[in-house]
Amino acid sequence: MNALLPDIATILPTLLGGLQISLTLTFFSLLFGLPFGMLFSFGVTADNKIFRYISVFFVEVGRGAPALVLLQLMYYGLPNVQITLTSLVSACLALVWTTAAYTAELIRGGIQSVPHGEIEGSDALGMSVRDRLRFIVIPQGMRIALPSLMGFAVLLFQATSLAYTVAVPELMSQAYSTGSSTFKYLPAFIAAGLLYAAISIPATWLSVLTEKRLSRHL
Amino acid sequence: MQMLQAIAVGLPLTILVTILALAIGTVLAIPLVAGLRSGNRLVWLLTRGTIDLLRGIPPVVWLFILYYGVSIGALRMSALQAAVIGLGLVAAAYLAEIFRGAIGSVHQGQWEASSALGFRTGTAWGRVIGPQAWRTAIPAYTTYGIGLLKDSSIASTIGVAEIVFMSNQYARQSGEGILVFFIAAGIYILLSMPLGMLSRHLDTKMRKAVAR
Amino acid sequence: MSHTAPTKIRNVVQVRNLAKAYGDNVVLRDVSLSVPEGSVTAMIGPSGAGKSTVLRCMNLLEKPDSGEIEIDGHVINARKKISPKNLAALRRSAGMVFQHFNLFPHMTVLRNISLPQERILGRSRDEANTKTMELLTRMGLGDKADHYPARCSGGQQQRIAIARALALGPRVMLFDEPTSALDPEVGVEVLEVMKELASEGMTMVVVTHEMGFAANVSNELVVMADGCIIESGDPRQIMSDPQHERTRRFLRAVLER
Ligand SMILES: Nc1ncnc2c1ncn2[C@@H]1O[C@H](COP(=O)(O)OP(=O)(O)OP(=O)(O)O)[C@@H](O)[C@H]1O
Ligand SMILES: [Mg+2]
Repeated sequence: MNALLPDIATILPTLLGGLQISLTLTFFSLLFGLPFGMLFSFGVTADNKIFRYISVFFVEVGRGAPALVLLQLMYYGLPNVQITLTSLVSACLALVWTTAAYTAELIRGGIQSVPHGEIEGSDALGMSVRDRLRFIVIPQGMRIALPSLMGFAVLLFQATSLAYTVAVPELMSQAYSTGSSTFKYLPAFIAAGLLYAAISIPATWLSVLTEKRLSRHL
Repeated sequence: MQMLQAIAVGLPLTILVTILALAIGTVLAIPLVAGLRSGNRLVWLLTRGTIDLLRGIPPVVWLFILYYGVSIGALRMSALQAAVIGLGLVAAAYLAEIFRGAIGSVHQGQWEASSALGFRTGTAWGRVIGPQAWRTAIPAYTTYGIGLLKDSSIASTIGVAEIVFMSNQYARQSGEGILVFFIAAGIYILLSMPLGMLSRHLDTKMRKAVAR
Repeated sequence: MSHTAPTKIRNVVQVRNLAKAYGDNVVLRDVSLSVPEGSVTAMIGPSGAGKSTVLRCMNLLEKPDSGEIEIDGHVINARKKISPKNLAALRRSAGMVFQHFNLFPHMTVLRNISLPQERILGRSRDEANTKTMELLTRMGLGDKADHYPARCSGGQQQRIAIARALALGPRVMLFDEPTSALDPEVGVEVLEVMKELASEGMTMVVVTHEMGFAANVSNELVVMADGCIIESGDPRQIMSDPQHERTRRFLRAVLER
């Protein structure tokens, strides 16, 4: 027990490279996932059947299946159809799917809770449907969805820890290899946990703060 | 068919891990909620810190800490124990937030009415505040339960032979990854459907009961 | 016999044989109404009479089942196909003010009023802002331009909503209980603005429970009950000598409050 703290202190800096990969993975999953999420949020209620079915498929599977299954599907599954990707790219694809599916629902929820009066206000002014979407519904809906999108980003960051199962050299996998080569499992995993917490906890506070700030304006 | 059988072998452990973790989480959430509602600054701070830490560290890290970390001494944990306890602890933190929110959403007037009628605190909780808060909490509680079902897949990483573990094994030996994992995904989706329906059913039932 | 032919008064709004039902609930049955240019029409009646529905049908926020609406020469018939162009023209001619203001909370007061001018009238940002500041100053709200609506009082928000509608240069202003969500003291600020608008010759239709406004400002009073106009005419005359039993009951109830 006495050796625990010094061990953590020694291991922690060696894991920073892994943390960087975790953050990069989070960033790219959001970067590519959010536009698809926006697209699917309209797709699931679209009149066009093909667009709707595709959207519903991606949203339902992306939300219904564990991220771990999607990760393995991309990594072990895609070679079956002659697509071989590096572990980082396949992990990114899986998390883009997860992101798109969850954010589609969050964005849709935000858009649906734009107060009816504001839509009526824009109608009465004679705004076109496109302008109404562009200036009222989407900005207002995104504002309402913003805190929950931030909350999702935190969960996504945590989910990147599962990418170690498909050999992405991120934080968790670095902790694991440190642990198995030195048998100092406990300090290695605690150090990794502290690094995850150091990002997740302030980020969660930020999302709560954002929610409070935004609700003040509404 | 053979594939489906091979995967389905993992079903009981998936369900077991989910139910046990949910049970542990629900029970442990209660003292956490009490801590969050405590007037004592120190108790509040400790509870807040515990919840933030439990939620701030990914479940897989908790599982590894418990499984690899705590097994060194005399106290050796099995993979199943580590999974259930780890997921249960994380669940406790999330459920505590859900319960706290639900209790907070019960109108202040309900407390005032209870006191005005001379109810004791226990009666007020059991008959007035509790049922109303529980009704509000049900949708979020079930959603968390469905999330936990999916998180139980993380137990595969420490060798609990549940659905994903079995799928992984089968995929490696058969080389049919894409189909195997689509089937696994399908099983999770099928499992969460009745839970979703149950939640809606309970919700409407509770609503009616309260409306009457 | 008079020798001078009466000057022909133009009707800015004409509603002909409006009918509307929600499922089995018949809300409007055969409502017809003309609003002469420069006049103020007050509409009163018990809750559920259909006052809001008539007003909301006028700019097609609610689609009537049958009947015809004409505003400033733009005609829309409920039974015929409504062209988006015609609808836009009709809505541009009618400014609407709601009970709950319906301002856009994510825009500053200035943007709330300028954006519609840019998008609907095609004004440049500068032109729109100039017009906005002119209107805000007139409403006594010049210092609020950069605030968000949530930081303004209810009375201020309602005046901002009026400015937003006026900025598009409507031929008629439609008000649906513009003071009902406000404290009486604050409501007065809004009523003052409306009175001023009336004196400047703006054509107005006002659904209201403010009997003072109906008696002193309006030129025409319309009483609705059960989806029909049961009485209309000179406000003071109707108030002192109602012809219809239903009107009498309603007025008694209002005055006893
Ligand atoms: N969207 C709707 N769906 C179904 N029924 C509606 C809808 N809007 C209004 N109604 C019904 O239409 C009737 C007339 O409503 P309306 O709002 O026009 O009355 P009102 O005269 O403005 O009353 P108030 O003084 O309460 O505002 C009411 O019976 C109401 O229940
Ligand atoms: Mg009304």
